[in-house]
Amino acid sequence: MVRVYLAFTTNFFPWLTIIVVFPIATGFFIFFLPHRGNKVTRGYTIYICVLELLLTTYAFCYHFELDDPLIQLAEDYKWIDFFGFYWRLGVDGLSLGPILLTGFITTLATLAAWPVTRNSRLFYFLMLAMYSGQIGSFASRDLLLFFIMWEFELIPVYLLLSAWGGKKRLYSATKFILYTAGGSVFLLIGVLGIGLYGSNEPTLNLEILANRSYPVALEILFYIGFLIAFAVKSPIIPLHTWLPDTHGEAHYSTCMLLAGILLKMGAYGLVRINMELLPHAHSLFSPWLIIVGTMQIIYAALTSPGQRNLKKRIAYSSVSHMGFIIIGIGSITDTGLSGAILQIISHGFISAALFFLAGTSYDRIRHGYLDEMGGLAIPIPKIFTLFSILSMASLALPGMSGFVAELIVFFGIITSQKSFLIAKILIPFVMAIGMILTPIYSLSMLRQMFYGYKLFNGVNSYFFDSGPRELFVLISILLPVLGIGIYPDLVLSLSVDKVEAILSNFFIENFHE
Amino acid sequence: MEHTYQYSWIIPFVPLPVPMLIGVGLLLFPTATKNLRRIWAFPSIFLLSIVMIFSVDLSIQQINRSSIYQYIWSWTINNYFSFEFGHFIDPLTSIMSILITTVGILVLFYSDNYMSHDQGYLRFFAYMSFFNTSMLGLVTSSNLIQIYIFWELVGMCSYLLIGFWFTRPSAASACQKAFVTNRVGDFGLLLGILGIYWTTGSFEFRDLFEIFNNLIYNKEVHFLFVTLCAFLLFGGAVAKSAQFPLHVWLPDAMEGPTPISALIHAATMVAAGIFLVARLLPLFIAIPYIMNLISLIGIITVLLGATLALAQKDIKKGLAYSTMSQLGYMMLALGMGSYRAALFHLITHAYSKALLFLGSGSIIHSMEALVGYAPDKSQNMALMGGLRKHVPITKTAFLLGTLSLCGIPPLACFWSKDEILNDSWLYSPIFAIIASFTAGLTAFYMFRIYLLTFEGYLNVRFQNYSGKKGNSFYSISLWGKEEQKSIKKSFPLVALLKMNNNERERTSFFSKKTSRMDTHVTKKPFLTIFPFGPTKTFFYPHESDNTMLFSMLILVLFPLFVGAIGIPFNQEGNNLDILSKLLTPSINLLHPNSNHFFDWYEFLPNATFSVTITFFGIFIAAFLYKPFYSSFQNWNGLNLFTKRVNKSQRVLRDKIINLLYDWSYNRAYIDAFYALFLTQWIRGLAQLTHLFDRRVIDGITNGVGITSFFFGEGLKYVAGSRISFYLLVYLFYVLIFFFIGVTPIIIQFIRG
Repeated sequence: MVRVYLAFTTNFFPWLTIIVVFPIATGFFIFFLPHRGNKVTRGYTIYICVLELLLTTYAFCYHFELDDPLIQLAEDYKWIDFFGFYWRLGVDGLSLGPILLTGFITTLATLAAWPVTRNSRLFYFLMLAMYSGQIGSFASRDLLLFFIMWEFELIPVYLLLSAWGGKKRLYSATKFILYTAGGSVFLLIGVLGIGLYGSNEPTLNLEILANRSYPVALEILFYIGFLIAFAVKSPIIPLHTWLPDTHGEAHYSTCMLLAGILLKMGAYGLVRINMELLPHAHSLFSPWLIIVGTMQIIYAALTSPGQRNLKKRIAYSSVSHMGFIIIGIGSITDTGLSGAILQIISHGFISAALFFLAGTSYDRIRHGYLDEMGGLAIPIPKIFTLFSILSMASLALPGMSGFVAELIVFFGIITSQKSFLIAKILIPFVMAIGMILTPIYSLSMLRQMFYGYKLFNGVNSYFFDSGPRELFVLISILLPVLGIGIYPDLVLSLSVDKVEAILSNFFIENFHE
Repeated sequence: MEHTYQYSWIIPFVPLPVPMLIGVGLLLFPTATKNLRRIWAFPSIFLLSIVMIFSVDLSIQQINRSSIYQYIWSWTINNYFSFEFGHFIDPLTSIMSILITTVGILVLFYSDNYMSHDQGYLRFFAYMSFFNTSMLGLVTSSNLIQIYIFWELVGMCSYLLIGFWFTRPSAASACQKAFVTNRVGDFGLLLGILGIYWTTGSFEFRDLFEIFNNLIYNKEVHFLFVTLCAFLLFGGAVAKSAQFPLHVWLPDAMEGPTPISALIHAATMVAAGIFLVARLLPLFIAIPYIMNLISLIGIITVLLGATLALAQKDIKKGLAYSTMSQLGYMMLALGMGSYRAALFHLITHAYSKALLFLGSGSIIHSMEALVGYAPDKSQNMALMGGLRKHVPITKTAFLLGTLSLCGIPPLACFWSKDEILNDSWLYSPIFAIIASFTAGLTAFYMFRIYLLTFEGYLNVRFQNYSGKKGNSFYSISLWGKEEQKSIKKSFPLVALLKMNNNERERTSFFSKKTSRMDTHVTKKPFLTIFPFGPTKTFFYPHESDNTMLFSMLILVLFPLFVGAIGIPFNQEGNNLDILSKLLTPSINLLHPNSNHFFDWYEFLPNATFSVTITFFGIFIAAFLYKPFYSSFQNWNGLNLFTKRVNKSQRVLRDKIINLLYDWSYNRAYIDAFYALFLTQWIRGLAQLTHLFDRRVIDGITNGVGITSFFFGEGLKYVAGSRISFYLLVYLFYVLIFFFIGVTPIIIQFIRG
């Protein structure tokens, strides 16, 4: 349907187009599947997800050169002629990790959504639509296409939030959509502003835009616009309040997608657009980003222990960990940026797993509040074990991915040439206070849920420990977390050249000045 | 033997397969794994024995020719930063690894029996082996990052093991407390590492020391900053070794199973802080302030730990405070710059304290059958007494440990403590007086524990009728108020569960341990030397099983003979002792020229002095705690004494004793202080931020939403389909678009 308009300009096999379009295109067939419970639907969806993940992996394995910092697997088709709108896709070291993460987490989220029975066909269709939208926005090389993909995946998220989840789901879904739509306005303004600036016909190609410079005032304006849009998504304080509400109410597989991937789009956008396209403004804003990031770590880590709701507590820990990404981006060093990218991946895994665990334990005990829980370690020992391990991962225990990411961000800060001496001392200091606060909330969460002794009587007296499906989901998340923690080059090697390429912009400019 | 060194990287990884296999097994095939049960204990002991042989071999080579080996692999390669992994073998490493493996093997062997009825037997062995892995990794680390990694892993193991019996609320809060307190130390350690990296650009110990000393020498760094970094690094050691401001976690850590307390919280992990300071001593020595701080913290901890140990009711907590005090001695020695004495005391104390803890574990095990599994009953010394007759082997072992720790001459701790005391006289007389005084206190509280536990009659049997309450004199005033409380019959959990108070039934139900006991566990001891029948009458405590006794007996040998490594035999040369040979390039600030020249004439008066103090302490303890019915021969002396003391003096005495008791019972009010200020403060702050977040930040958002909603509704009423209003709006928007159209022109105008 869409491809009617495409005019082939390259003779490569269009890997990325297929990867982007495949989930949603096959998703339409869900509605034609026979009505027999949700078994057929979920089997089909998982089949599609796994196929897509394999396809992505295959394409990246055989058609992607790791040591090339340029765009690869590029596709460039003219779509709408008069507006100069292209279907322009491409992958580089920066987007490789998030795309694979998307495939991985979405597949697992589909598997996690196994118990969803209410209107399951729509649910799975929306999951697949989100799959497309997310990969599309990570893979797009055109500013307008990026914007469209960005907006495109909001719709499935909104529907997923508003139709499945807790009691206050409509409130939180509305809040989410209003927040992100508000952010998107600024994104649109920024996209159009950048696209229409200068020449007669709009240029939206990211590669061309990366080499352009703007007057300082205008660049700052653009920067602020993009920053607001991405700050809503990331989230950066004080624009974070949609996140705890949304995560508190949503179904846990939606939470996995939200925390695992959606938040990362904000951080990705910050690197992709704010750092790459607007380096001047970024070097002006970077100290503020670092300060805000540091505040965010402390602020969210302090807010978290005050939450009674388990999922909200994890949501605030997410907010706190996103602070490290912002600091890494703001540090403008190779080390810091590598750390931020590593944290994107690592936090994607860890938070997805934590939300899944919170959801599955909620399914069993039917209490969302921490002070009503207790003594769960005996009835559900496997969940207890995995919850402990992943909480440890979340509080950056060495050997897990979170530790490496945070350590590298720390090194990014102290090797930063931009900041002053006092700032270099103070900021790691405050960040490290966050390191003390993190175990306070995550371990007290564990203590309140699992430790202690409680007599279960009546209806709630029997629980099933996690079954093979849940164990599979958790172990397949745990393995990469451990793998990255033990051998971080797994992820760092993907992005190292791209990071250098991005940062060389900054150093060239410093040199000219 | 280059090969031995080359392959020594394998040391930490040898015990690793056990926890991995058990972990995977428990998650995926729980029943099959649990059925194997004891089979898992063998590989963990076996693998640890391999490591022990390996490290003994290494240290023999170290003795023959002292040299440092280092091998490095890169961990992450990046153009801008690189972290490296490696192993670093020097005398310190070899000493520590022998210590860890020997104590580790015995504790594993011991806990096979100690934990045999526990549901979490396998979990226990998995944690223990993982702890061994990370502790061995810590001591073989070649750079600071690696130290930090294993440092945290060791802390995590400690967290898991303290919270091993997770159904106890006290264990749950204790493990969290331990982790968070250790995190405060890690906070310092991480920042210190970052700061040191920033100034020197290296993590490797040897490069780092060289660069650092050059920088200090040439005055190229800001002195204050360097001091701050060193202070932060020291902060890590303070938390891990339970030194003064951050010691609060150690007594609570006794909630864990007793073998853990022996291995982790007495012998190895708490020594990690000492290890770190010893490792970084070349760095600290360059900054005299930090050295003074280290010795100051050391001496404060020595005194505080000893005074807190004076009146503990719980046998394990008493030992824990004693550990803290002894760690303070090591820290003091390091701060004085006598590296050798600190390490010597580290070794001797580790073995003695491990023995004491294993002994206390055996006592607890025999008491549990009598009083139930609640820790405040089975570990309560007020309920013990007279165990000498019932558990003679344990008693012998415990007595040896006690004597060693007090510093009675032929035993191990005497030599090391005496060395520290000697050095402290050279360093500062005030510190020396405090340290010697504390040596007396040590003897007092250790003998107090011993006497309360083993002498007299079994107090459980007497608690309901007359008991010791009306009979013994001064022990009452010490126990005073607490006695009624501790022997209260209604135990909260019992009331909760509506159980009847029958003793027999209580023992069987109380325990979460027994109630969750596997039915098909083989209950036979591992070694069968003396056939103890299966008929167990719970009227008297019985001796523990042979497996436990065996490992205790092996461990008895260490306090007896380990002192020999540090005793100089003065016949042939100047320094013939093994420890000095190991530590030839060691640092010693106090004997710059003498090169460990050992002087018996200097040694004897000092030794006599310290032994006198010790005996004085023992005498007071015997005087106060020897129950009268077993010591009629002291009766006269006691009467004489009480006659001579007049009434007012006695009141004063009681007051002092009560004061001391309160001080010790309330843990010097430090825990209360932290709870009152830090915990409450953080909770309050959390509530405040939460409120701020919900009311202000979220409130603004919701306010905007509601306002726009009302605005829209209002507009609906206002714009009641009147043409004129639409025209107005139309004009308004035309105006806006006009301005938007004009703006680029203005911008261009501005740009010129």
